[in-house]
Amino acid sequence: MHKHQHTASAKLAAPIRVMAVASCFAIASCGAAQSAPTPAAAHFPVSITGPGGATVTIAQKPHRIVSLSPTATEMLFAIGAGAQVAAVDDQSNYPSSAPRTKLSGFQPNIEAIAGYSPDLVVAAEDTGGLVHGLQALNLPILIEPAAKNLDDSYLEIKQLGVATGHGAEAESVVAGMRSQVGAFVASVSRPARQLRVYHELDNTYYSVTSATFIGQVYKLLGLSNIADSATAATPDYPQLSAEYIVAANPDLIVLADTKCCQQDLSTVAARPGWGAITAVKSGQVIGVDDDVASRWGPRIIEFMRAIAAHVRQLEKKAA
Amino acid sequence: MLGVSVRVTPASPVVLSGMPRLPWMWAAGGFLALLLCCGVGVLVGPVHIGLGTVLGALLAPLPWLGTGAAADPGQANILWSLRFPRVVLGVLVGGTLAIAGAAYQGVFRNPLADPYLLGAAAGANLGATLAIAFAPGMSLLGVNIVPLAAFVGAGAAVAGAYALGRSVTGLRSTTGLILAGVAIAAFFNSIQSYVQQTQTSSIRQVYSWILGRLVTAGWDDVILVLPYVVLSVAVIFLHRRLLDSLTLGEDEITSLGIPVRRVRLIVVVAATLGTAAVVAVGGTIAFVGIIVPHTIRLLVGRSYRVVIPLSVLFGAAFLVLADTAARTVVAPAELPIGVITAFLGAPFFIAVMRSTRGAPL
Amino acid sequence: MSDIVLAGVSVAYDGDPVVHDLDLSVASGEWVALIGPNGAGKTTILRAIARLVPFRGEIQIGGRAVTALSQRQAARNVAMLVQEPQMPAGMTVSQYVLLGRAPHLGYLGRESSRDRRIVRDIVRRLALEDMTSRPLDRLSGGERQRAAIARALAQQAPVLLIDEPTSSLDVGRQQSVLELIDQLRREQELTVIAAMHELTLAGQYADRLALLVAGRLVAVGAAAEVLTEPAIAEHYRAQVRVIQMNGSGTAVVPVRN
Repeated sequence: MHKHQHTASAKLAAPIRVMAVASCFAIASCGAAQSAPTPAAAHFPVSITGPGGATVTIAQKPHRIVSLSPTATEMLFAIGAGAQVAAVDDQSNYPSSAPRTKLSGFQPNIEAIAGYSPDLVVAAEDTGGLVHGLQALNLPILIEPAAKNLDDSYLEIKQLGVATGHGAEAESVVAGMRSQVGAFVASVSRPARQLRVYHELDNTYYSVTSATFIGQVYKLLGLSNIADSATAATPDYPQLSAEYIVAANPDLIVLADTKCCQQDLSTVAARPGWGAITAVKSGQVIGVDDDVASRWGPRIIEFMRAIAAHVRQLEKKAA
Repeated sequence: MLGVSVRVTPASPVVLSGMPRLPWMWAAGGFLALLLCCGVGVLVGPVHIGLGTVLGALLAPLPWLGTGAAADPGQANILWSLRFPRVVLGVLVGGTLAIAGAAYQGVFRNPLADPYLLGAAAGANLGATLAIAFAPGMSLLGVNIVPLAAFVGAGAAVAGAYALGRSVTGLRSTTGLILAGVAIAAFFNSIQSYVQQTQTSSIRQVYSWILGRLVTAGWDDVILVLPYVVLSVAVIFLHRRLLDSLTLGEDEITSLGIPVRRVRLIVVVAATLGTAAVVAVGGTIAFVGIIVPHTIRLLVGRSYRVVIPLSVLFGAAFLVLADTAARTVVAPAELPIGVITAFLGAPFFIAVMRSTRGAPL
Repeated sequence: MSDIVLAGVSVAYDGDPVVHDLDLSVASGEWVALIGPNGAGKTTILRAIARLVPFRGEIQIGGRAVTALSQRQAARNVAMLVQEPQMPAGMTVSQYVLLGRAPHLGYLGRESSRDRRIVRDIVRRLALEDMTSRPLDRLSGGERQRAAIARALAQQAPVLLIDEPTSSLDVGRQQSVLELIDQLRREQELTVIAAMHELTLAGQYADRLALLVAGRLVAVGAAAEVLTEPAIAEHYRAQVRVIQMNGSGTAVVPVRN
């Protein structure tokens, strides 16, 4: 009974707020107040159209955010919305200050999520009837799916900025990322012979093509990705033949399976036939944090910095 | 004693017509098929290597034939380190799964029996999943822990099913054992699913393992499983006549003085040992253990004197062929071998069944 | 010597007594038919002698307790023909008959020339030589019965236990199967115990009949003594006329009032 009244009053209140926002925008557009960053609270309610086409309206600045996406968690903390986050899922291990819970983004439990009385839920995918279930409870849910490229990632950061009242910080985070990416790209010269890279997801030789987010990073740095020959059948994450990897003879091997499978230069060198690969012989086998290499958040800059440094090294050697 | 005196010189063997014997044409055909599939297996791969180079690499270690050094060390490396061991492992895995399947069908007198009937696959999957999730990259005595855990898991599941079946029905019939296997498999699968759900970061590896992983095959794996495979195949082969006698009724077998429980136990242990070993290095590859023995039954004959030896040959040939397809169809990417065995095997099996309509299954 | 002595034999399935304190002696070379209504325990007694079911009391064959024999030794002494032998589809007659050699073979079941010769002779004796390569599932009912007898004979056991040898056969086949068993018994001096439901045939072929009712022996003796109208009326609840045919045994004919 009580709940019904509550939702009814919220529904009534919504149009009034929208009108208020409209008038505010009207004032802002004709006034001179836009130059100074306005207090975030002034922008609510906001409507955000996600990549899937669904529009989410957030009535007030959220202060009990539940994030079911490790990437979104990283983004939220990067744009200064960390204090508004009430709970993050079991996989959100960065930053360490994030309020990690047993919530799962793979097998979401609507009741458990509602238990945190969130005013905004962020997830990477709509699994297990997540969106439907939360809509039934009138809880706003924002889906920020896996990015295909850096621009997708920038857009998601900005959307989260708007959704949490940290639009300005989000813009500056994106600007910073853009300039760093530009610097990394500029720091590598593009040699006549493209350097070949093999990115390893696990020790059964699953890899990534240039069609993926992480593959885009290699492409930006001018590397040739050996997994791209496999796009015909498996466009994104092919499992490569060991034979092919050895024959493709990559100059650089990036191990994104250091945590899952404890791989490093010595384990790779011990694989049958792999000793003949240039990257193994020259020690250009880089271990990266599995998580950093599988998320599309601000930490991609760290990853790119490490790869760029190795590429410069390889180029210097080649010169 | 029969009061019939027969004049036979002791040296000449008595020929009894109608005895099942391995048709030499089929035996030769099996060897030929295996040889042919291995030939295709070593010649075809995601990396194109010419016939001359392959032959040269194969002959290189022979002192009187080899040229000493292969023409291209890079290609020789690919052949010797990756392709050859993978083909050899395919032979071992395919032959063992097929013979173990035939053995299980004989012991349980159930055409649907396969090497995973008593939970070997569920146990191996659980063992591998636990190792992948909780002890990533660990080794024990220089051997990666995943195959060891899979081997132990498979053995534990079958031993559990055996103990359970024994305690419930006293092994009077095989039905109790089969039901115990079903229960154990379901129980192990549920734990495996739970672990997999909670350790989401290892999902892909677990799937990759379950769908078959000859991808990373090396000589290490060959050496690891060879003793078990040899033992398992030899024991089952020696029991092929007894498997025929197990097709009689329970009372008849016992009244013939055949130690039926001991035979069952020995054959099941041997088949399980082989299955556990090859599953540990090859993942739980489905269908081979069912399709190969049944195809032989339909095309050649039902006697285990025929089914057992031919299962080894054709099972090995089939898996090498399937694996060759797995690594070439979408090259340089891999297809899971379990997908290929089912994709090739199911329609072929249906075609065989249709063409031999009326043959007893 | 292959005489059989059952002394105080009781059998129970899962605690339910089926045979009670049974005493019976069968001489070497004798044919005794176990008769009695359905569920009287005929099959159970055969299974006890063949050691297929645990029993209390003592069963001796040739003066030795069967419980002292291994399953394999027992199989060399007692061959059993079950009522519905399992005939594995696709198995040839030769291979099936050869299975009878199992108690004489090594653990792995490898047969020798001698075993093959014995099988060949038996197949010939039972006129199965033209169908040695034929799968069991392509035999007629009579041929199947002959194949089953051949398999039991291949055991070369002095005692032959037969459970309902003539069920599902027409009257001609019934006669020829029983004649065959009788000939073989004489040729090879077999001791035969057969559970039989066809009373006239039992009386014609067996030396003695043992009438079993609810697990107890109620009468043992020649056909004329056991097959009486009151006894059959009492134990089978059947209206019959018993006719003594001079030199041709005792006929039991059902009548309708």
